[in-house]
Amino acid sequence: MSDATTAAYAFLAVMRRDLYVYRSYRTRLVSQVLTALFSLTLFYYVSRLVHVHGFASSNSYFGFVVVGISLISVLYSCFSIPELVRQELIAGTFDRLLLSPFGAIRSVLAMTFFPMMYSFVLAAITLGLGCVIFDLHLHWSTVPVALPVMLLVLFAFLPFGVLFAALTVVIKQGNVGTSWVVAMLSIVGGLYFPVSLLPGWLQTISRLQPFTAATDLLRHLLVDSSLGESSETALLKLVGFAAVLLPLSIFVLGRAIRFGQRRGTIIEY
Amino acid sequence: MLTAPEHAQEPSLNAAPLRLDRVSKRWRKDLPLVLDELELTLAPGTVTWVGGRNGIGKTTMLRIAAGLIEPDGGRAEVWGLHPNKHRVRYQQLVSFLPAGDRGLYARLTVRRQLEFWARIAMVPRERFREWIEEAIVRFDLADLANRRVDRMSMGQRQRLRIAMTFLPHPEVVLLDEPLTSLDTEGGDLLQGAVSGLLERDGAVLWCSPSGESLDINFDFHWMLEQGRLVAQ
Repeated sequence: MSDATTAAYAFLAVMRRDLYVYRSYRTRLVSQVLTALFSLTLFYYVSRLVHVHGFASSNSYFGFVVVGISLISVLYSCFSIPELVRQELIAGTFDRLLLSPFGAIRSVLAMTFFPMMYSFVLAAITLGLGCVIFDLHLHWSTVPVALPVMLLVLFAFLPFGVLFAALTVVIKQGNVGTSWVVAMLSIVGGLYFPVSLLPGWLQTISRLQPFTAATDLLRHLLVDSSLGESSETALLKLVGFAAVLLPLSIFVLGRAIRFGQRRGTIIEY
Repeated sequence: MLTAPEHAQEPSLNAAPLRLDRVSKRWRKDLPLVLDELELTLAPGTVTWVGGRNGIGKTTMLRIAAGLIEPDGGRAEVWGLHPNKHRVRYQQLVSFLPAGDRGLYARLTVRRQLEFWARIAMVPRERFREWIEEAIVRFDLADLANRRVDRMSMGQRQRLRIAMTFLPHPEVVLLDEPLTSLDTEGGDLLQGAVSGLLERDGAVLWCSPSGESLDINFDFHWMLEQGRLVAQ
């Protein structure tokens, strides 16, 4: 059997491990579905309470914000990687990953997949609840196209999580900066309101990062909202971010690990 | 019988299972060297014991030998391979049991822990089931196979950690205070695993603060003092 096949099995084993650990906490899914339900309820009534500039009806704003809520779970999954690495450092399992033939870098990349796939499921559940309970109208003809786009979105967001994971390896703290980055991205990415409401300089930042392109594109595919830029430009932006930042983030993670090995701090937590 | 060229990506006829060549390590500039041009060579089919008081540098030496941390000077080699340049092969040949009770996933069962470890140790697929069952039997884990780690005693966890260390059939095993929390039966199981490794011409480096009470014939006894090994 080739090394590539053995490595693929190792990659799957990391995902399976995360699934087993997840299943050992039996109430986690219930609590997350309830959280999604409460968020949907809140925004459903907010959409009925106020008239939002730029939206034809309460329903169109509700559709807009439901996609935003769905996407935030994907964003959180990418930014959960540093905390996962921190847990491995504390448990002493990071040493084992580092000293395995599979290695720490591939292990960190593999451990991103379960949370990302799970965030997919949560996003789907959120959209489903929106449809069933709150009469959200999905644009079904383009929903299948949203799936590969969602995968691309994950690859565009993943480097940010890997970069923060590299920081965690060096400074041993898992949540440094991640919560405010997620909060900032939810504002400049237009999760809850259109970015056209933001001041000019924030709109510029909004156009520079991939999150806005992702939300725009997915809203267009899921609820048929209008695009801020062409779908080709949005796709190109996501591909560009993934193609440039992913190898860069993996390189930085490798350097962070070597730094820890040289200084001897890799064993600290 | 294992031979160097069989394993080396850069074959070296003069290579040893493990060689620490003038290894130096200092934790901070204002502190003395923990390891000072330390030299150690393990021969095939031997068990080497290294003792020394707490904090003298035994664990640092093992971590460098395992490829976990890098020395400031000198190098570690396994069959002539470098821990970074030949990382995958190096890690297939060496297995390290760190001191303490860390390195386990608390929510996984024993069997799933072993399966996970076998996968990331990149055990050949055709050997995967066989080696896991072998580890379960050899370390008397059958009754615990479906028990979660956080529901096990310290001694049972140590047996699992030792099982993980020997599972991928390494050629060099580095043991840091392996008898911690083990009862007599656990010690006997470890002794059996070490004997099995020696029959395959593997090598063991065993570190502990003082001499072990086990009936193991250490081939070499060293004390670590002021960063260097002194024959005992």
